[in-house]
Amino acid sequence: MFFNSIAFAIFLPIVFFLYWFVFNKNKSTQNALLIIASYYFYSCWDWRFLFLLVFSTFLDYYTGIQIEKGKSEKSRKFWFWLSILVNLGFLGLFKYYNFFASSFAELLTSAGFKASPILLNVILPVGISFYTFHGLSYVIDIYYKRIKAEYNFVDYSLFVSYFPLLVAGPIERATHLLPQVKVKREFNFQTAKEGVYQIVWGLVKKVVIADTCAPYANAIFDNYTSMNSFSLILGAIYFAFQIYGDFSGYSDIALGVSKLFGLDLLRNFNYPYFSRDIAEFWRRWHISLSSWFRDYLYIPLGGSKGGLWMKIRNTFIIFVVSGFWHGANWTYIAWGFINAVYFLPLLLSNSNRNNMDAIQLKFNFDSIKVFSSILYTFLLTCIAWVFFRARTITDAILYLKRIVTNKDFSFQYLDNERYSYELLLMIGVFVLIEWNNRTKVEPLSGKMSMLKTALAILAIMAFGTFSDYKEFIYFQF
Amino acid sequence: MKRFLIYIVKIFLITVLIAFILDGLYTYIFLQSHNRGKIEQVFNSNAQKYDVVILGSSRANNHFVPQIFEKRGLKTFNYGMSGGHLFEASLMLKLMIERKYEIKNVILEADLNLSNDHQSEGVSAKFLPYIHNSEIIKNHFFNEKDFNELYYIPFYRYIKYDNKIGFREVCKIIRDDKTNSLDNSGYYPLQKHKNGNMKNNIVNLNPLKHNKYYEEIEKLCKIHNINFIAIMTPMCENVKGMNYFEKVQKLYPEIYNYENVVKEDKYFSSCGHMNDAGAKIFTAKIVTDFFKK
Repeated sequence: MFFNSIAFAIFLPIVFFLYWFVFNKNKSTQNALLIIASYYFYSCWDWRFLFLLVFSTFLDYYTGIQIEKGKSEKSRKFWFWLSILVNLGFLGLFKYYNFFASSFAELLTSAGFKASPILLNVILPVGISFYTFHGLSYVIDIYYKRIKAEYNFVDYSLFVSYFPLLVAGPIERATHLLPQVKVKREFNFQTAKEGVYQIVWGLVKKVVIADTCAPYANAIFDNYTSMNSFSLILGAIYFAFQIYGDFSGYSDIALGVSKLFGLDLLRNFNYPYFSRDIAEFWRRWHISLSSWFRDYLYIPLGGSKGGLWMKIRNTFIIFVVSGFWHGANWTYIAWGFINAVYFLPLLLSNSNRNNMDAIQLKFNFDSIKVFSSILYTFLLTCIAWVFFRARTITDAILYLKRIVTNKDFSFQYLDNERYSYELLLMIGVFVLIEWNNRTKVEPLSGKMSMLKTALAILAIMAFGTFSDYKEFIYFQF
Repeated sequence: MKRFLIYIVKIFLITVLIAFILDGLYTYIFLQSHNRGKIEQVFNSNAQKYDVVILGSSRANNHFVPQIFEKRGLKTFNYGMSGGHLFEASLMLKLMIERKYEIKNVILEADLNLSNDHQSEGVSAKFLPYIHNSEIIKNHFFNEKDFNELYYIPFYRYIKYDNKIGFREVCKIIRDDKTNSLDNSGYYPLQKHKNGNMKNNIVNLNPLKHNKYYEEIEKLCKIHNINFIAIMTPMCENVKGMNYFEKVQKLYPEIYNYENVVKEDKYFSSCGHMNDAGAKIFTAKIVTDFFKK
């Protein structure tokens, strides 16, 4: 069940009605309903993996309590590592086993040995990377005594399995979401209205931007050897907007849906393509994952407090692991590595926190500088996205090489009967709308909100792509 | 909560209003279309006179050369549609009859397409803009499982088939962009492909005992005094399950089997589709056999 499906359009009002009109006696009934709805939502993909989700939830719930109750450090450590190893074990088995087995076999083959790895014929459980990270952060926080263990299983289950964030985040923290599920939610008109704005704008991003860019990006990336420089540049730009529209659109819908139930989720995107450097980009892109890695990997490794080599090491670790989190493929690792290379000069020159203020543009020289730095940062991210999208690292390198060597900048007709330049106007309009509303969560609120909402609905219906129905990209992660 | 419910009702009503406006606008634009494809051309046309009308899938579209018929003085148009099934061929003929076309002969490519009587969504979608403007189209789709949504929900059909009849197609109609589907009197010549797939496997394909739309076309021709010629067209030699054509012959003895008239790979673009040279040999044979002067 996708957020942009008819099934979800039926599911959501039913759950909303039951939540506010039938199960609204107290927080326990509200939470019980949300749990049932979440498990149903998850089982729509594959009910068999529901057992994995429940097991993972129970494991973290139980180990969390045992860690807190543990009288000796040895006992606390035992439950802590049990949870970490089982969580990462499942993730490793389902997501990374085949990658490691085949990579190891390739290594042996290149060394002259014959190797035929035993590969698992398993599909990746939807959302496993997200709910595993929910559980991990919870257990780590209890171990380091930042939070208390949750003794109410229903409340804890809701924290892990809450359907708006279950399959593609944002990756919530117990400190943020658990206190909210511990109290009865009261309906708030303004919050619910904001939720509707976010849902509508998220749908614009998904069906108008992402799904419309997808066939163009696919046609260009899949046939890059016959594309000219102009089409290849457009392909990278289209993919940049595809993945942004897809993932931030999903996050907007998730946040909006959650607001309808009176629960506030962490913001995941903050107009990342208006970043003035890569450090700012990573403060604005997939914020919940970046901050997760910062808090649970980068800082425990020593962060930027150690010597030069420690800074370099930690930067590469966090970016490469972040890339690898996205999928078991060398292209994701390369994508993470490239971002580390981008980030490192900023860190070493202590300028990674230069652009913390709001972006201002006026008619002066500074504004030209700001505008250039935004364009430059976007260019860097597009280069990195080529690695993210390409099938192999070789394909990515050849793609980039062809941009430079082909030198043909004419319009091209793609094999899916579209001209490569067709989307430029639409993307331009989208960028302008986002730019003019960059201080707000979404562009629809404020003055003339009803008219803006109507125009957004019109855009979804008239310009949206529905028949080339596509999943959300981040579901595969 | 009451305020929110009123707000949601307002959003819903706005959505419905937008759907009605867009539906009307798109339909109006499609009603002006005349050079985008065969369906639009027939729907938006007046009475025509044809000696020969060709119907079927791409194996009709790429195999029958109207110019060869015309050399014999037979006014011909190839209404074969790539990807189309007999569902669409039947509807096309009904539309022509509704528009009072005077047709002497219908040549129907009837072979592989006898194995199903479903619609081909990619092709049938092109009829949907006119579903409220034609009883024929409405009735033809009436038994389809999503008829109610397509017919009663405004703009639903344009959303469901947006890659066929959506915004891009509307823009092309407004810009008066031509397609090549009406060139060469509807015939689309194929070239010899270097890497054309010269193998096919139709072992699992079986003709239906009663293909609803084949029988419908046959009946329509009978009622309107149109000479009905059903033909099996050639495939390359390297096909597994070639006895399919014999099965067709058993079930439908009136269909002429021309499957083996052209055999050599050099006359094929891919296994199921002859190239221009093959199509010309094949059409010449058909013209000689059926339209002797």
